Amino acid sequence: MNYVIRRILMLLLTMLIVSFLTFLAFELVSGDVAQTKLGTEGTPEQVAALRHELGLDQPFLLRYGQWLGGFFTGDLGVSYYNPQPMWELIGPKLGVTLILAAISFLLITLISIPLGLLSYRLAGSPLDGLRTAFNQLCMAVPPFFIGILFSWFFGITLKLFIPEGFPSSIRANPGEAMTQLFFAAVCLSIPRIAMTVRMMRSTVIGEMQKAYVRTAISRGNDRRGVLLRHVLKNSLTGTVTFLAQTLAELIGGSIVVEQVFGIPGLGRFLVAEIRALDYPVVQTIVVILAFWVVLAGTVADLINQRIDPRLRLGGAK
Amino acid sequence: MLDIQDLHVKFHTRDHEAVGGINLRIDDGEILGLVGESGSGKSVTAMSIAGLLPRKQCALRGAILLDGQDLLLADRSILRRMQGSAIGVVFQEPMSSMNPLLRVGVQVGEALRIHRKDLSPEARRALVLQAMADVELPNPEECYRKYPHELSGGQQQRAMIAAAIVSRPSLLLLDEPTTALDVTIQAQILELLKKLNAETGISMLFISHNLNVVRKLCTRVAVMQKGLLVETGSTDAVFHHPQHPYTQRLIASIPTRHGREVR
Ligand SMILES: Nc1ncnc2c1ncn2[C@@H]1O[C@H](COP(=O)(O)OP(=O)(O)OP(=O)(O)O)[C@@H](O)[C@H]1O
Ligand SMILES: [Mg+2]
Repeated sequence: MNYVIRRILMLLLTMLIVSFLTFLAFELVSGDVAQTKLGTEGTPEQVAALRHELGLDQPFLLRYGQWLGGFFTGDLGVSYYNPQPMWELIGPKLGVTLILAAISFLLITLISIPLGLLSYRLAGSPLDGLRTAFNQLCMAVPPFFIGILFSWFFGITLKLFIPEGFPSSIRANPGEAMTQLFFAAVCLSIPRIAMTVRMMRSTVIGEMQKAYVRTAISRGNDRRGVLLRHVLKNSLTGTVTFLAQTLAELIGGSIVVEQVFGIPGLGRFLVAEIRALDYPVVQTIVVILAFWVVLAGTVADLINQRIDPRLRLGGAK
Repeated sequence: MLDIQDLHVKFHTRDHEAVGGINLRIDDGEILGLVGESGSGKSVTAMSIAGLLPRKQCALRGAILLDGQDLLLADRSILRRMQGSAIGVVFQEPMSSMNPLLRVGVQVGEALRIHRKDLSPEARRALVLQAMADVELPNPEECYRKYPHELSGGQQQRAMIAAAIVSRPSLLLLDEPTTALDVTIQAQILELLKKLNAETGISMLFISHNLNVVRKLCTRVAVMQKGLLVETGSTDAVFHHPQHPYTQRLIASIPTRHGREVR
C-alpha cells in the first residue's frame, strides 16, 4: 500500500505546482487589473484604492497563499462582472460537463474493449479492410459534424429532443436534459471509441508476438484462453493509460459539442469568460481542468499498479 | 514413443526448407540431445513436435508419431489436448516465457486447469506444490504466490519446468533451457533434469549449442546441420568416433579447460 500513499503525495505536489504556475501565468497576463477595471478615466488615487481593495498591493506569494487557501475553503474569488460566489457560477456548469464526460467515458470503455478484441480477431480476414475503412471514417469525422447530423436527425426529424432547447437546469427537466447529454456524449465518443479500438488492436497484436503467448499455447490454451487469460490482462495497462488520457481530454473536448447542442456546460462557459477577459473565473476553471488531468493520470497509475505487480516497486520496471 | 519420419518444414517466406527431411526417434525414458549450429533447425524441429509453428506461415510434410498418433494429421482440438498434457515444453528465456502478470503458482498449474477439469482447486493446488517441490524450488508455498519477476533466473526456469511436468506428460521438449543461465545454475538444472528423468522415466528432447552439457545429460545425440541430421548415435560413440566431418569440427571446437563454457 506504500505505493498508493507515495502516488497520492506526488499528486498533491503536482497539483501544488500546477496551481502555482497557473497563478503566476495569470499574474503575468492579467496586467494591472485595477487599471483595466477603471479604464482610462480612473484617477491614480482611485486605482490605488481599488488595488488595495482587491488585495493587489500585497506581495505575490502572500496572495498566492491566500488564493490557494481560498480554493480549499470554497472561496474561489469573485468574477469581475458577476457578484455571485464563484462556486455558484461554476458549479452547475461543471456538473453538466461532468455528466457529459461520465456518459462518454462509460460508452468509450464499455464499447472499446470488447470491440478492440473483436477487431483483433478480424485481422487477416476479408472483413479487415472494411473494418479499417470504418475505423478511419469514425476517427476522421469531427464531433461537431456528428453533432449537427444528430441534432437534425434525432432532434428535428425524430423529435427526441429540442435542439438548442436545453432546460434551464437539469432538475427542471431531467428527461430532456439527459437525452441531450446522451446524444452529445455519443458524438463526443465516436472518434474516441475508434481511436481506442485501434490502440487496443495494435496492443493485442503486439502482445500476441510475445514469448509468453507461445508458452500459453504450449500448455493447451485455445485462442480464447490465450486472448482472455493472458493477452487481455497484459494489454490492459496500456489501455488504462490511454483511457485516462481520453478522460482528461473529454472535458476540453466537450466545448465544441456543448456549442452544437447548446448545452450550458463548463466548456461553453469557459469560452465566453475568456472572451470577456474575466480572469478570476478563467483562472479557476483552468486550475480545475488541470487538476482533472492530473487526477485522471494518478487514478490510471493506481489502477495499473493493481494490474501489473512490477509497477508496485516504485520507479521504472 | 516419438518417431519423426521424413519431416520437412518450409516457411513461406524462405527459399530453403528450415528442416529438410529428418528421421528421429526418441525411446521411452530416453534423453536425446539435439545439437547443431545456430539456424540449423533445432528449434523448428522441437516446435513442430509441440505444434507451435504457425500453420499459416509454413508447410509441414512427413510424420510425427507420438505413441502411434500422427501429430501432423491431428486436428487442432486433438493437438491442443496433447499440448501440456502429453507434451511439455521449456524454452530458453524463462523470464519472457512467463506471463509477467500472473502468479507463479497459477502458471505452473495452468496445464492442470486446462486438462484436468476433474480436479478441485485444492487438489490442483496440491499437485502444483508437489511439482514445485519436485523441481526443488525453495519454499513452494511462497513461490506459489510470487510473480515471475520476484524469482531469480534459475528459479524461473525451475518454475517453467514444474509447469511443463505438472500434468505428468510423457515427453518434455527443452529448447536450450540452460543457455540463458550462468554456469553453476546451469549445472543444477542439468542435475534436476537427470533426476526427473530417473525418477519418472519421462522422455526428453534436449536442445543445446553446448556439447559439454549434452554429453553430461544425454544417452543419445543427434547432430543437425542446415536442416538435416548429419549424425545420430549414442553419446559415447558420437563423441569418441564422430563420423561426419561437421561433427568432428564441432567436437574439436569444445573448449577443453574447465570454467566458463562458450555457448
Ligand atoms: N517464423 C519463422 N519464419 C521464417 N523463418 C523462420 C522462422 N522460424 C525459424 N525460421 C528459420 O528456420 C531456420 C531454422 O531456425 P531454428 O530456429 O530452428 O534454428 P536453431 O537451430 O534453433 O538455431 P538457434 O541455435 O539459433 O536457436 C532458420 O534459418 C530460421 O531463420
Ligand atoms: Mg533455437
